Amino acid sequence: MEQFIISISREFGSLGHEIAEQIARHYNLTLYDRNILNEVANSRNVDVAPLHEYDEERISRIFHRTIRGMSTHISDHVAQLQFDFLKEKAESGESFVVVGRCSECILKEYKGLISIFIRGDKENKIRQVMEAHHLTRSEAIYMIRKKDWRRKEYHNTHCDYKWGDSRNYDLTINSSRLSLDECVQLLIDYIDRRYKKIYEDVKNKME
Amino acid sequence: MLAQILAITIFLVMFILVIIDKWERYIITLICAAITLISVFGIGLHSFQAIIDTLNVTSIFELQFWYSAGESSEITSGINWSTIIFIAGMMIMVEGMAHVGFFRWLCMRIARLVKYKVVPIFITFMILSSFLAMFIDSITVILFLAAVTIELSQLLKFNPIPMILAEVFCANLGGSATMCGDPPNIIIGTSLGYSFTDFVTNTGLIAGICLIFVVLYFYLVFRKELSKNKEQQIDLSDLPSPESAIKSKSGFAISTCIFLLAIVLLVTHAMTGLSVAFIGTFIAILTLIAAGKSALMLLKKVDYKTLLFFVGLFVVVGGLERTGILTLMSNMIGKISGGNFYVMLAIIIWISAIASAFIDNIPFAATMIPVINNLAATQGISLSVLAWALAMGTDIGGSATPIGASANVVGIATAAKNGHIIKWGRYCKVMVPATMIVLVLTTILVYIRYL
Repeated sequence: MEQFIISISREFGSLGHEIAEQIARHYNLTLYDRNILNEVANSRNVDVAPLHEYDEERISRIFHRTIRGMSTHISDHVAQLQFDFLKEKAESGESFVVVGRCSECILKEYKGLISIFIRGDKENKIRQVMEAHHLTRSEAIYMIRKKDWRRKEYHNTHCDYKWGDSRNYDLTINSSRLSLDECVQLLIDYIDRRYKKIYEDVKNKME
Repeated sequence: MLAQILAITIFLVMFILVIIDKWERYIITLICAAITLISVFGIGLHSFQAIIDTLNVTSIFELQFWYSAGESSEITSGINWSTIIFIAGMMIMVEGMAHVGFFRWLCMRIARLVKYKVVPIFITFMILSSFLAMFIDSITVILFLAAVTIELSQLLKFNPIPMILAEVFCANLGGSATMCGDPPNIIIGTSLGYSFTDFVTNTGLIAGICLIFVVLYFYLVFRKELSKNKEQQIDLSDLPSPESAIKSKSGFAISTCIFLLAIVLLVTHAMTGLSVAFIGTFIAILTLIAAGKSALMLLKKVDYKTLLFFVGLFVVVGGLERTGILTLMSNMIGKISGGNFYVMLAIIIWISAIASAFIDNIPFAATMIPVINNLAATQGISLSVLAWALAMGTDIGGSATPIGASANVVGIATAAKNGHIIKWGRYCKVMVPATMIVLVLTTILVYIRYL
């Protein structure tokens, strides 16, 4: 079986994580998200809680310093630990689904990478966040803004392309236009076609 | 007046940009230096001679730059090429030592000597950190010590953060003991004409006394955390042998000899008349010859960005100096202290320390040298005592916060790369009291000895 890595980036409240879970279940692949840090902490025998505090966190410019490429930006180090983990997994030939973590740009050199960005309509996202987190409308709006701003800052620090820019992804979909199952089905169809093409390309190359 | 406004504006913009840390520091200082040369010296002062004097290139071709024949070196202003050439030379020597595995061997050797017991490793690594930082830049010292500490922590099952914090503090303290230990000291020494021995017998003595209290302090603070896994059985055969760190036996022997020669030359440079620029160049040439085919690789590893940062910085500070801003600053310190030497010294030590805790201590020291020079001249007080106060304040103050000194950044980064997170709170909780202890001790010792 040829390696394929499904990278799913998402707006907060767009059901991106749920879609990633269903795709991972469909292909029987491991899903990597925040749990990467648990594996990193286990392998290095360190406490995981401080690592989670800096997960997908933007890099602050104030009260930090960089010397000869080494910096006091903890969020940068935590990001690098996750990038190293993902590269190691990709290098080992493992197929997996990964949510966020700049994976579409960190793993772009792997031919089996399929990158997807999931966005949603504002009202749908607000409704989704209100229900999932038991928040009022204004609280949900604040949470969406805050989370997306952080994700954008985090992504744009580590990648050349901007977060959500369609040129950076193989496929960008609006999850509000279809039901969750329809979105998953559409993506599975796309991934199957892409996998077939990747497989054929490898076969042709070998011949 | 225009020149003064321009000089101070450029200086403040440079400082803010360095703090923001968005662009490389050397790019900021070089651009600010170019603007200083054009706007302050050209447009403001209409003085081509000021540009020539600040660039100070001609000084390199004078005999006194390399050999002072027993006379005290001339007090220089503008770009301090002695500092830059010396640091470049030491960088090459240190790269040569690292290349053959000297530092890793030394750390592993000491760990074995104390039978891989955590608390003895903790204490000996603190002393080792101080000792190495007396002769080698603290970045390299922590780079290797922290890496070995993390490696040992995984094998011996202890938390490496306390040890890294203690090593960082001791590296900064050790750096204050000698002329070549910390960049502010090199700048102070070469700018004001002090020798290696002058530093050792003044700041070195203070740092030595403080080290005893610091080791005791860190031991008391961390003893419980380090003794957690005392009962755990460790298979010592799993531990790497110190000799495995050596990549080339002949290279290792030569590097060790060059290092020892550098120490001898530095210790005796007041007697031999050889300047630090000469020593740096000589040691670099020896290292490159010994490295053979690896010479080019060593040259590539030199941190040119830091050297260019210094070049730009000296020009911008030269702008402040030539427009009289620094004279105004020294007059202000004189006024505030009311001519009282006690108050003046306290101001120099504590303001330097507080400033160095938040901003880079190198530009701060470079700025303060003309200030204390003028202060000594106008107030009729000893320049050397002010110089020692400035050196201790800037070197020690940097330990208080994660961004205060290069060693802190390297320690935090090395730990974080391995998943050990040192947050601002965790860092300051331990390091601020240690800094306060050393600053209080320094103030008392300076008062007792010099007043």
